[in-house]
Amino acid sequence: MIAIALKMLLGDRTKYAGLLFGITFTSFLVTFAASYFGGMMTRSFALIAENPQADVWVMDPAVVAVDRPINLPTSALNRVRSVEGVRSAVPLALAQADARFPNGRFQSFQVIGVDDATLTGVPLMNVGSTAAVLRSPDAVIVDEGGTSGKLETPSSKTDQWPRGKPHLDVPTRPLIAGDELLINDTRVQVAGQSAALPRFPPRPLLFTTYSTAERILLPERRRLTFVLATAAPGVDARTLATRIEAATDLRARAADDFKEDTVRWMLANSEDVGDAVTMLSIAMLVGFGVTGVMMFLFTNENLKYYAVLNAMGATTRLLLTMICAQAGLCAVIGTGLGLGLCALAGRVFEAHDFPFRMMWFAPAVGGTAVVLVSVGAALFSTRPIRKMQPASFLAGR
Amino acid sequence: MDTHVAPARSQAAINCRGVTKTYGQGNAAVQALRGVDLEVRMGELLMLVGPSGCGKTTLISVLAGLMQRDAGECSVLDHDYREMAVNETTRFRGQNIGFVFQSFDLIPALTAVENAAAPLLIGGVKRRAAMEQTQAVLQKLGFDDRMMRSLPAELSGGQQQRVAIARAMVHHPKLIVCDEPTSALDSGSGHMVINLMREFALGRDRVLVVVTHDARIFEFADRIAWMEDGRITRIANAPIRAKEPQKNP
Repeated sequence: MIAIALKMLLGDRTKYAGLLFGITFTSFLVTFAASYFGGMMTRSFALIAENPQADVWVMDPAVVAVDRPINLPTSALNRVRSVEGVRSAVPLALAQADARFPNGRFQSFQVIGVDDATLTGVPLMNVGSTAAVLRSPDAVIVDEGGTSGKLETPSSKTDQWPRGKPHLDVPTRPLIAGDELLINDTRVQVAGQSAALPRFPPRPLLFTTYSTAERILLPERRRLTFVLATAAPGVDARTLATRIEAATDLRARAADDFKEDTVRWMLANSEDVGDAVTMLSIAMLVGFGVTGVMMFLFTNENLKYYAVLNAMGATTRLLLTMICAQAGLCAVIGTGLGLGLCALAGRVFEAHDFPFRMMWFAPAVGGTAVVLVSVGAALFSTRPIRKMQPASFLAGR
Repeated sequence: MDTHVAPARSQAAINCRGVTKTYGQGNAAVQALRGVDLEVRMGELLMLVGPSGCGKTTLISVLAGLMQRDAGECSVLDHDYREMAVNETTRFRGQNIGFVFQSFDLIPALTAVENAAAPLLIGGVKRRAAMEQTQAVLQKLGFDDRMMRSLPAELSGGQQQRVAIARAMVHHPKLIVCDEPTSALDSGSGHMVINLMREFALGRDRVLVVVTHDARIFEFADRIAWMEDGRITRIANAPIRAKEPQKNP
């Protein structure tokens, strides 16, 4: 009877297409929203992800996420270095600064000051450049950090460092090595561009050495934001974090735990979570609307035949099973189509640097949404079956 | 519960006394059956005739367990639907009753053979066996392979009617109820179909109750019951001419 149910469904191409559309739409949109959300969350801990050599991140006890820094006293670095099991520890400074471009435009940057000696913290560089360029005096590496068009400087020399008003509406080109910027009235020289992981929220990044950062940033009593510790061979990162906390009274988190902390903080505090939930809800609502109505119409239009089958001995349970089989077929095909579409759309979005990342939970969330929508639609459409009177069809009414 | 009924020739297959049925309530109430008394024996072909709205379809709905009577006694194949649960009644119908509906009601997406095999598939017969059994019945009704694979929309009205009849007979029910089974057939096809149904009903110790206006097939009935205003007013042995009914002997 399942085969008959499916033939009945496939025989009505319009309704079948409508049902497939509803399910595919739900699957696509929910998976897409979940993947987009996954991408945003992944980008939120990009700084941790691009420093895989740091087994443990040490910070002020009040810090809850990588983007909510509170600086430490300089002595924290040596205190961490003195803990047993620490192979090495390097400083990392995070700060916000407005840089003036040659045409007079201001642009906000996240300044990342890395260890002068090891340059730990500099991300992958673009082809033809290395992190060592930071060893030049006043050198900085710039990165779009998920933005676009924010690292533009005037093409013409005559528009650079003008006297009088800024030259804002002039032809521009991307920053290249040799260009200069002003940060807090201190001249820095662009030494190269990196290919850092895009940030969420997106913002331009400016990498420099710790000492240059101290010099170009406004004076603060404390400049050190994180201490990145590497565990000695045989020492587990979590164990080392516990030891550092016990020895220094600072907060120490294994890199993976710190990523989780950051995601948790984003989930609890980011307005984008609400947007994603709204998008998921709308996707499910529209999907249910289309699927439920189509399924209901299909069942209602075929009610006569269900009544005939009931008259011939098909119990209500068997008829409901048939409807569930129809919904199930649409769910399976629609989920597949939705996921396929989502993967294709993802490729396009990734190519344009949007925060799309289809992690394991995205198809699971999409599948769950489809199950909810399909079950809801099936239940909604079984109402006429449960209320039908087969005798009325015997009379041709 | 096993609802299969063992054949018992010459016993009453249907025995109803004082059956009533009313649709609606209050001023809108319509009394469709007003105390129907009816006895149909095994191996008998009974035709129910009467004007539109006299309660024929309601009566066969009650006999087939599609509708509960309001009052009266009614035993069908030694079962009283009132004493059976809804699902039990449904299974009983599936095993013991075949239907030919007034408007055929073939499922448009299924081929002729799949439509006719539906009762077997509902009864749990394997698809392949069900198809073979059904093809044999359809062949008797004059279907070739191409027609069997056709969708209802590709068949003429008469062919659709024959598929509906095959569907009613394919699982060898003890009771077949038909609502105007020959209305869409020409005279020759009508005779062939009713002949086959009669052969089936009598040859297998079964009961056939046919609602019809088709005077051409009255001669195939064992008895004819006239209904009027929700009552059976007369029952006569056939052959008989519809427009010149004889007194019930």
